[in-house]
Amino acid sequence: MKNSYLGRWLRDVLTIFNMELKNVLHDGGVMIIFIAAGFFYPILYNFVYKNGILEDTPIAVVDNADCSDSRRMIREMDATREIDIAYRCTSMEEARDLFARRKVNGIIYFPSDFGDRLAGRQTATFSIYADMSSFLYYKNLLMGSNFVMLHEVNNIKIERYSFDGLTDAQADQSVNTVLYDDINPYNRAFSYSIFLISAILMLIIQQVMFYGMSMSVGTMREENRSFASLPDSLNGHGVGRVVLGRGAVYWLRFMIIGIYVTCIVPAMFNFPQRGSYGEILVLLSLFVTVCVFFCMTWSTLVTRRESAFILFLFMSPVCVFLTGFSWPTTAFPAFWKYFSYLFPSTFGCQAFINMNTAGADLETVGQLLNSLTVQGMVYFVLACLAIYVENFALKRKDEIDSAIRSVEDSIIEHGEKIGNHIEKRLTR
Amino acid sequence: MTFLRNTLNVIRRELRIWVRRPIYVVGMVFVMAFCTIFYLSFLKDGVPSDVPIAVVDLDRSSTSRNFCQQLDATQLGKVVYYDDFASARADLQGGRVTSLCLIPEGFNRDIQSQRQPTMSFYVNGLYFLGGSLAWKDLLTMINLTSGAVQRQVLRMKGVDENEIMGLLRPVDVDVHQIGNATMNYGAYLANMMIPGMLQMVIVIILIYSLGTELKYGTSRHLLQVAGDDIYTALLGKLILYTVSFTVIGWSVEVLLYKWMGFPLAGSLAEMLLASFLLVLASESVAVLIIGCVPVCRFALSIGALYSVLGLSLTGFTLPVEAMPLGLRGLTMMYPLRYFYEIYVHVGIFDNPFGEWYMYVVALLAFCFLPFFVMGRLKKAYVNLDYARN
Repeated sequence: MKNSYLGRWLRDVLTIFNMELKNVLHDGGVMIIFIAAGFFYPILYNFVYKNGILEDTPIAVVDNADCSDSRRMIREMDATREIDIAYRCTSMEEARDLFARRKVNGIIYFPSDFGDRLAGRQTATFSIYADMSSFLYYKNLLMGSNFVMLHEVNNIKIERYSFDGLTDAQADQSVNTVLYDDINPYNRAFSYSIFLISAILMLIIQQVMFYGMSMSVGTMREENRSFASLPDSLNGHGVGRVVLGRGAVYWLRFMIIGIYVTCIVPAMFNFPQRGSYGEILVLLSLFVTVCVFFCMTWSTLVTRRESAFILFLFMSPVCVFLTGFSWPTTAFPAFWKYFSYLFPSTFGCQAFINMNTAGADLETVGQLLNSLTVQGMVYFVLACLAIYVENFALKRKDEIDSAIRSVEDSIIEHGEKIGNHIEKRLTR
Repeated sequence: MTFLRNTLNVIRRELRIWVRRPIYVVGMVFVMAFCTIFYLSFLKDGVPSDVPIAVVDLDRSSTSRNFCQQLDATQLGKVVYYDDFASARADLQGGRVTSLCLIPEGFNRDIQSQRQPTMSFYVNGLYFLGGSLAWKDLLTMINLTSGAVQRQVLRMKGVDENEIMGLLRPVDVDVHQIGNATMNYGAYLANMMIPGMLQMVIVIILIYSLGTELKYGTSRHLLQVAGDDIYTALLGKLILYTVSFTVIGWSVEVLLYKWMGFPLAGSLAEMLLASFLLVLASESVAVLIIGCVPVCRFALSIGALYSVLGLSLTGFTLPVEAMPLGLRGLTMMYPLRYFYEIYVHVGIFDNPFGEWYMYVVALLAFCFLPFFVMGRLKKAYVNLDYARN
């Protein structure tokens, strides 16, 4: 066993694992990213979106109808969770002024013929004006006024039918020909926090790992000891050992962060946790594995410590959209749909939303797990390939360096010419 | 004169760095171009269409079939038929459909005999936009179905057509969406996301530009070029960055409101002003960060944490008043917050300058921040006594 291929293989993996572990622990900047971002970001986001729902949006009312019906409707709207009648205005000008000065986020307007039309058994129309600076204002105004309107419509209809000589029960049957139950089992109040936090928790794991790994890889490259370099004892073999040995360090670390993010943080904030702990753990370990290979592959592009932030920070919000939690996946333009397959978060976040918050089991999200697995295999091969190529390049470093330098020199030469030219122009 | 010459020299030096290290130009131009293309093309439809709605039709009557066809014909919905409730529910739970409609057995029969059948519909509220739109779509269709049945009955009774409308719909609401009449989700998000990315890029790139001088120990050379004056050194750098970022910011605004034709009630010039101020304020924040923490990588980590959170704290998705009390003050740290306020005043309400001058003042106030750390930054630049890595 000791001298068999497998034995040596395992020893190599362990050596590389130890090396990398020491490396990461000694790097303050990387630790800051892991600790600050990994531990505080989930808390911070939960805190920002803690309330989740916007209540009592201030609204101005212009009641030109001034009849018992409009007054009752205004009272009822004020009583909804969504709307707070903050101002009663005598004219539209006054309301518009309050609206423009952002004292209110919407206007409800009852025209003077509102009561007459109701009395005349015609359709009476009132108007709402919503501030679209945030869609939540619009949603509140629309929902609050719709609830009241549907309720009123029912009462008035029954009243009108009763007027025609129907009993109340008969009138109800003629008005409500179809009844309905609306059930929103996973997010009853359409809370902003429940839908957003479910989506970004997994994303935080992926992004923190990527920035952390890129920083550490970039530092090594700066110090001329490439992340990819194979230990000398391996004689140029063992790409797989490097990938697995180094990867294991990150896997271990992010399983800890991951358990914290996906199991402890939701519990801390009384967030729904409908999935089973064991199954979430299965998802998490698969997701973290794919993320490790994903980060290894892409961090090949990072040559300096700080480059990751400059080149990839903007991807975090992009990835949020690509998870499909807000803009539905089915409406993605084709290009972005395929583009989203590049990121483990696309599948991981959706699986987490479905499992943790909607209580799905592994079988239900099987498709997503399959995609994640395929993605993991592809990224493993790519990570190996990247390390192989980099090693190849490192061996021929001098030749490549001189080639790059000559290109750089010519660029600088041209740049200086342009600079001189500009300066001449400016000083003239 | 020497001051001008020194400033010019700093600019020249910076330009040379740009040429030598393409990361600056890539980080500014490529990143912003990518973000702009992403947010404009990803959400180009404005409102999603053909969102899958699961239907379990246990009745299989002409009425229920008609209902499904009508639902399918709406712009928003696309009906996916299921044979049994269990498999439809699994797909709802797995996020493959965002809503589910169950038509009970005997639906048609119960309607005809006025026994008020109950339709059930389930919505997955975890997929916010798809879920809430599908919900709205289903509600409308159910009301229409109910209305159609009533109308049939009333017609048979010989009620006058005008009166029928009054009986079917005694109260109606006229909805006006101020500032985004078509409910264009793309316009809503892109208007803020792209300037938000600009704020992020400015903070990161400028911290990097000032921080690498420390990291590679070139700061003394920078000061030497600037005639040993930190103000000249910063002015030179900032002029270059301000011009570049303003050009980028203005192109974005022109793209949004002229090319894409997103609604803008006020004038474009006012938005260009806001954009310019956003650039200045974000640059000041960057200088403050690197001045306080003159270690390149720490400053960058702080800048990254700061700017990613900024997108949430601006309050254009979840309004600031819905955030916990303790966090509302934190939102004031972000130039984007004031940019958003200006956008609301200009873009949505077309208010006169008097209504939003305080946000301009706030953005200008950011510009004083660098002065607090100039001395500290200079000391760091001269002594180079902070850890480089």
